[in-house]
Amino acid sequence: MLEFNSVTKVFKSDFFKKPVVAVNDLSFKVDAGSIVGFLGANGAGKTTSLKMAMDFTRATSGEVHFEGLGQTKNEIFKNIGFLPERPYFYPHLSGRAFCHYMGKLVDMKKVDIEKQISYWAPKLRIDFALDREIKTYSKGMLQRIGFLTALLHDPKLIILDEPLSGVDPIGRKELKDIIVEINKLGKTVFFSSHIVSDVEEICDKVIFLKDGKLVYQGRVDDIINKNLKPVTRIRYTLNNETLVSKVENDNKTAKLKELIESNADIISIEQDKPTLENIFYNVGS
Amino acid sequence: MKELKKVQTVASYTFQEVLKSKVLYNIMFLGLGLLIVTYVAQQFTYGAPSRIALDFGVGALSLSSVGIAIFMGVGLLSKEIENRTVYMIVSRPVKRSSFVLGRILGLNLILVLNILILSLLTLTVYFLTGGAVQPLIFWTILFIVIEASMVLLVVSLLSLLTSATLSVILSLVIFFAGHAIKEAQMTTFTQNRPVLEWILDFYHVALPAFGKINTRDLLLYNQTVDGQFLMSALGYSFTYSAFLVALILIIFEKKNLD
Repeated sequence: MLEFNSVTKVFKSDFFKKPVVAVNDLSFKVDAGSIVGFLGANGAGKTTSLKMAMDFTRATSGEVHFEGLGQTKNEIFKNIGFLPERPYFYPHLSGRAFCHYMGKLVDMKKVDIEKQISYWAPKLRIDFALDREIKTYSKGMLQRIGFLTALLHDPKLIILDEPLSGVDPIGRKELKDIIVEINKLGKTVFFSSHIVSDVEEICDKVIFLKDGKLVYQGRVDDIINKNLKPVTRIRYTLNNETLVSKVENDNKTAKLKELIESNADIISIEQDKPTLENIFYNVGS
Repeated sequence: MKELKKVQTVASYTFQEVLKSKVLYNIMFLGLGLLIVTYVAQQFTYGAPSRIALDFGVGALSLSSVGIAIFMGVGLLSKEIENRTVYMIVSRPVKRSSFVLGRILGLNLILVLNILILSLLTLTVYFLTGGAVQPLIFWTILFIVIEASMVLLVVSLLSLLTSATLSVILSLVIFFAGHAIKEAQMTTFTQNRPVLEWILDFYHVALPAFGKINTRDLLLYNQTVDGQFLMSALGYSFTYSAFLVALILIIFEKKNLD
């Protein structure tokens, strides 16, 4: 659905300053119907890449392609819902007026806009504030109204830049649930984040950037399985005390035998799984 | 046709947004101030109270509309980029040119509203104090609208090229120089120096010559204006505005919205 082909972006802020390569020969693919996480530390080039995808800024070289969204730019953009990082909206408009503004720009009828608002606003828990001026909104509420406008026109591809930043833990959970829900409705979701656990929780696929370069792209399960340690974690109770023992896979049968002989109650046996965060921390550093 | 509708949508919400930002209160406040100043000035004038009403009214009209054009216009496009609000618009099926035209049109509607309110006040006082109907009054009001609109285009263009502060300063300089240039060309000091004359001639062509569309002095001194002058002023202002709009559209189209 979205494809980056050898995209490079070089910034030159000053004639005398050295050019900065923000994105370096980046190629990746976002498949239709998937939830893809775009990971990387601050300054890795995630936002710049999304800006190039949305044509806010032009790539120095390389191309961005959209498949199955339309032929012309207008057709393609009609099928994309975009939410920028730290969104700032017109402070004197009400949330509802802003939604109508965004809806009209995608040729929606008033009645359809209202229908979509009444469906998504309660789910995003922003319905109570729709008739208030946006200047009274908190950071989390801005994120929610932005999310609502991104979903308003029922787009096929939803691109979100750090949608979970600035949202409290309950709000994050709710937004993650909505991302999963819209994916179940057949939408493709591509979102950037620097919070690895969020990505691990809901994404099928992950694209990891470091210093503007692609480090990994593929399934979340694949990278975790590739990084499995040959260690088994045995949880057991002995003398009314719950203990965990980590043993090499080759030694696990012997260890289990030893525990059973000493009358230990085995609670669980599982292979030691690294978190995505641990893997990327190791790759990143 | 669809793009025209989008221009209209952007213009309508720009108008609403600016209107709700309390600019209307400022206009009302200015209108009230204008009435008080006109009344006080009339008490010190003998014989021509309607002229005073017209003089203050037209002055306030011009200054307030140019003030709104410069101080609201400086953020019209640049603030949208700075605050990333533009991302919400151009990530929809909206051409950048439609966004720019909509924003400019929206603020122009505010300028028209401002001039309309203050004109009504001025004309009410003028007619109440015995002023006679003159077609030049309405031409002058129209040219004030056009002048403010040109200033808005100048400041919008500059704000895409340089910082907000510099844009405001440069716009003010261009506005005042645009009025003074005609008089400067006519001085013997200039006429005796061919290089200076050439520079001023070039300025007169390249930068907006607001003196060409200024009928305020003619109105106040009760002079008549022929149709050729009015048509030439209209032709000049529309051509120059079209040139400024084209420049703004080209720059915004090419601009990286970082």
